[in-house]
Amino acid sequence: MLEIKGLEKVYPNGHHALKNVTFSVPQGEFLVVIGLSGSGKSTMLRCVNRLHDPTGGEILFQGVDTSKLKGKALRKIRADIGMIFQHFNLIPRKTVMENVLSGNLSRTGIVASIFGIHSAEVKAQAQKYIEIVGLKGKEKNRADNLSGGQQQRVSIARALMQNPKILLADEPVASLDPATSHSVMQYLKKVNEELGVTVICNLHFLSLVRQYAHRVVALKGGKLIYDGKPLEINEEWFKTIYGEDAVEVTIN
Amino acid sequence: MKQNVHKTPNKYVQSFKAYVLDTLSWAYLALISYKIVYEKIIIDERYPEFTWNQPLLCLYIGLALAAVLFFTKFSLGRGLFGLIKYDENEGPTSQPFAYIGYLLILLTFITGFYVSQISMKEFLSESGLEGAKRIFKALFNPNWAIFEEGLFAAIETIYMAFIATAVAIPIAFVLGFFAARNLMNGNKISFFLYNALRAFLNISRSIEPLVWAIIFSVWVGIGPFSGMLALCIHSIASLTKQYSEQIESIDDGPIEAITATGAHPIQIVWFGVVPQIVLPYLSYTIYRWDINVRMATVIGLVGGGGIGNLLMQYQGQARWNEVGMLVILIAAIVWTMDWASSKLREALK
Repeated sequence: MLEIKGLEKVYPNGHHALKNVTFSVPQGEFLVVIGLSGSGKSTMLRCVNRLHDPTGGEILFQGVDTSKLKGKALRKIRADIGMIFQHFNLIPRKTVMENVLSGNLSRTGIVASIFGIHSAEVKAQAQKYIEIVGLKGKEKNRADNLSGGQQQRVSIARALMQNPKILLADEPVASLDPATSHSVMQYLKKVNEELGVTVICNLHFLSLVRQYAHRVVALKGGKLIYDGKPLEINEEWFKTIYGEDAVEVTIN
Repeated sequence: MKQNVHKTPNKYVQSFKAYVLDTLSWAYLALISYKIVYEKIIIDERYPEFTWNQPLLCLYIGLALAAVLFFTKFSLGRGLFGLIKYDENEGPTSQPFAYIGYLLILLTFITGFYVSQISMKEFLSESGLEGAKRIFKALFNPNWAIFEEGLFAAIETIYMAFIATAVAIPIAFVLGFFAARNLMNGNKISFFLYNALRAFLNISRSIEPLVWAIIFSVWVGIGPFSGMLALCIHSIASLTKQYSEQIESIDDGPIEAITATGAHPIQIVWFGVVPQIVLPYLSYTIYRWDINVRMATVIGLVGGGGIGNLLMQYQGQARWNEVGMLVILIAAIVWTMDWASSKLREALK
């Protein structure tokens, strides 16, 4: 499904964020990426859908190397890759419905999208996804007036609207409280299991990792240092990934 | 992800800047000490002689003094660029180099006093006060017979300002995107365009609307049209700058999210940028109209039409009662616009 080979990223300021990262993700997997802040997790996700341009290596998405694509071909690949963010990144002052519909922009004409013209079919689809994330009845509410957990669910619905083959989640619960975190993770799990969407998710809390991940990769200083089952991360691995002084914090 | 590259300032470059600053401040001190304090105040010369050798000599003196005093605590430049170490508890204001700064301010004040020709004698002279009394009396007895004439001129002014703003909005709206650094630093061509546009805007903004009005009154003739063009040019430059600064301060998140959906660049701007800037734009635009109405009255003075034109005519004929009427009208317009625009902008928050 997704193969990352020798991925390198050096920022213009000289920061070497990713060093020869190689791993692959099979169809339908729920993969979690862990590591300290600044270890390159976000950079790696953003290289997959080219919000950042990698400086070396290959990213094969369904057999196509995405790292050199441009223009229309790039937008087509991006449309197949959904993404949700730590700070939700919804469009301010717009309703839940408008935000979810924005997931369909790649398949809407420029003029039609500016005037907000969508077919009944597309609207029904948006309605369906709003219901899947449990926000029925909130379609006309302004998205920025919702709680954090609800906003993140809107952003999941927006990503689903793309009809993605893969869903990237960059710290989806890092700005949410523990109870809401679980609810959002449950929705991601549902998306993964019921809709069969492959998920790559950056997480901080190991307790969440053990509960939701099929497989875990860990980054440290831009290098991939662990690739395996979540339950195999023992005390020793924990210290290696997070440093000697780290203490595990649980979230229930 | 933000990447701020912090460059540590080069010590030699800083020292050089400090030396230039020192030289200029010493030269300035020497020049005003000689031309104003010595020639004007001490020997009270009525028509002092000026040759270009004088400032040149002062520059040499500045260079020499700066060289001598550069490594002492009296170097203002080194003090301001943080190259002098001092006790943190004392603070910079009580350091020797600060006294040089105080001396500069004091001498500038004295110079300003002389250059402005401030004179209490003129201010309180008998005939002068008599004239002022006559004008104020007339101003408080406005001639209501020209109320209608003044009102029509005022309406002309308001509409002229409105059209100037309205024409400027769409142009500034489009230019605003091209003048926003965060949208334009993607590649070399767009960044060049950004710099060229910025330079053009800075030049046209630095020419006062009053000067534009003079240019256009020659170009298209005296009247509201020339005033409107003058305000329009100035509004485009100002609004574009404010719009682009608003774009530069937006949250990158929604842009990232819309980009990630595979949207076209135009859609990214429309959905990722525009919703974040609509309200501040409206607020700036209303404020600009408010400013334009005020400026329109002044622009009328140089032939830009409207109430300002009328004011100048009556002032030229020394018909102070009529001037009084117009002043009252202008005050009423400015006050109303000010009030309405602040209420509107508050409601938009």
